[in-house]
Amino acid sequence: MSTDALSATDDAPGQDLPGPDAADLAAAALSMARRFASGATLWCAAPSWPWHARHVAAEFVQPVQPGERPLPAVTVPDGPLWESLRPLARAGDMLLVVSRTDDPSVAGLRQRSRAWGVLTVWIGAGPRPEPGSADYVLWVKGDETVASCGGHFALLFHLLSELTYVCLERPDLLAPEPVLCGDEVCITCSDEGRLGEVVAIGADGCAQVRTPAGLETVDTSLIESARPGDLVLIHAGAALTLVEGAPR
Amino acid sequence: MSRESTGFQLVGRQDSGELLDDLTARAAAEAEMSCRLRKSSLETLGSELERAARAIAQRLIAGGFIYTFGNGAGSSSAACVAPLFSRSPGGIALPARCLVDDQAVLTAIGNNLGYELTFSRQLATFARAGDVTMGYSTGPNADNVIRAFEEAARRGILTVGFAGRADGPMAACGVIDHCFAVPSHSVHRIEEAQAALSCRLWAMVQQELRPEGKRRVAWPQQPAARQELLEPEEAL
Repeated sequence: MSTDALSATDDAPGQDLPGPDAADLAAAALSMARRFASGATLWCAAPSWPWHARHVAAEFVQPVQPGERPLPAVTVPDGPLWESLRPLARAGDMLLVVSRTDDPSVAGLRQRSRAWGVLTVWIGAGPRPEPGSADYVLWVKGDETVASCGGHFALLFHLLSELTYVCLERPDLLAPEPVLCGDEVCITCSDEGRLGEVVAIGADGCAQVRTPAGLETVDTSLIESARPGDLVLIHAGAALTLVEGAPR
Repeated sequence: MSRESTGFQLVGRQDSGELLDDLTARAAAEAEMSCRLRKSSLETLGSELERAARAIAQRLIAGGFIYTFGNGAGSSSAACVAPLFSRSPGGIALPARCLVDDQAVLTAIGNNLGYELTFSRQLATFARAGDVTMGYSTGPNADNVIRAFEEAARRGILTVGFAGRADGPMAACGVIDHCFAVPSHSVHRIEEAQAALSCRLWAMVQQELRPEGKRRVAWPQQPAARQELLEPEEAL
């Protein structure tokens, strides 16, 4: 970024928020409010800009509007994202990530969070991630440093918290959403499967696998050498295939 | 995704549609307000930004350090702007650091001496005449930020404040050399405008530091000796 790029701060983050993005924000806020109402925790991570994660946590734990109730939002501790979050996140929780599109530490966001049953909101700048990379993708056009320092990310997560609190005024609309079951399609046989994360390998050709439903014992005879942390597609009590390239 | 087919959300679906429409309209309106406030703040405060940038650049050229601080979201603003200066993508990396970063120091001071001293005590320890402070606050509670600015002013340190409305405690404390007050009732919109102002200030400082690429920053310099440590103990 050159210092000239900062002129981008003049032309307004508002222009980065056309109708569809405002609608995405609205949908994300309603989902988040429903999850909070079900007892979820919001985990916040911003690998390159840790202050944004702390800021988001503060927005919910100590909301700016007097009278708004504190909600559990926590910065993911330092360290590799999945390793840090693995023992903390429970099925039904939420993960809000602020990062670049190509940040290696968030690679596998969608698959990992599906296996855990965690709702994902991804805020970032630069090239927009592929559709479906997270449950909700809220993206800023333009330079990522400008977006980070110039308040563009802050606008997005401010609006997200504002709208979430508006939703919380409507308890009649906060019936829980079902936990995502991790439905995927097996690439080898096109059969349907659920994503799970290998927790422990048994000696008997079985493995304990973490899914949104809890710990399951699955038959691993169809796959080669699964290791703890690997993602697998499960169907009818058997691991059908290893998910390739999902960072652990 | 099977969310639609579960029947879970069918109750009150129409209502949640109305809610979503309302939320969408609010998001768009607030984003537009953020955009207007940012533009008007940059315009209104443009010449003050220039003066502040010149003053900061002068101190940096002479070997000064920048210290940033704030509470809550203001601490995030402070934590964001320090690496903007110290990494300066595409520009000259400058000595800047955030006084919120050392958690053990922060909590030790807060616990042993009182929260209102969290930043002033650090400045008293680290900062020298000729340094720069940048503090962030939006609301009525800013005791530790004000105390830090008072300490800085006593020590001949430049004070740059990013405040909420002009009737807030920061604008009223009278020790801030360059105060950027953002007129809004929304803390969030103020913070977004403060970010734009900080970013612009950084860019202006960078420009001040390299007109025709001639001027150089004197950092890193040998620090001045700490006289108080060199005095005989009974003199303290």
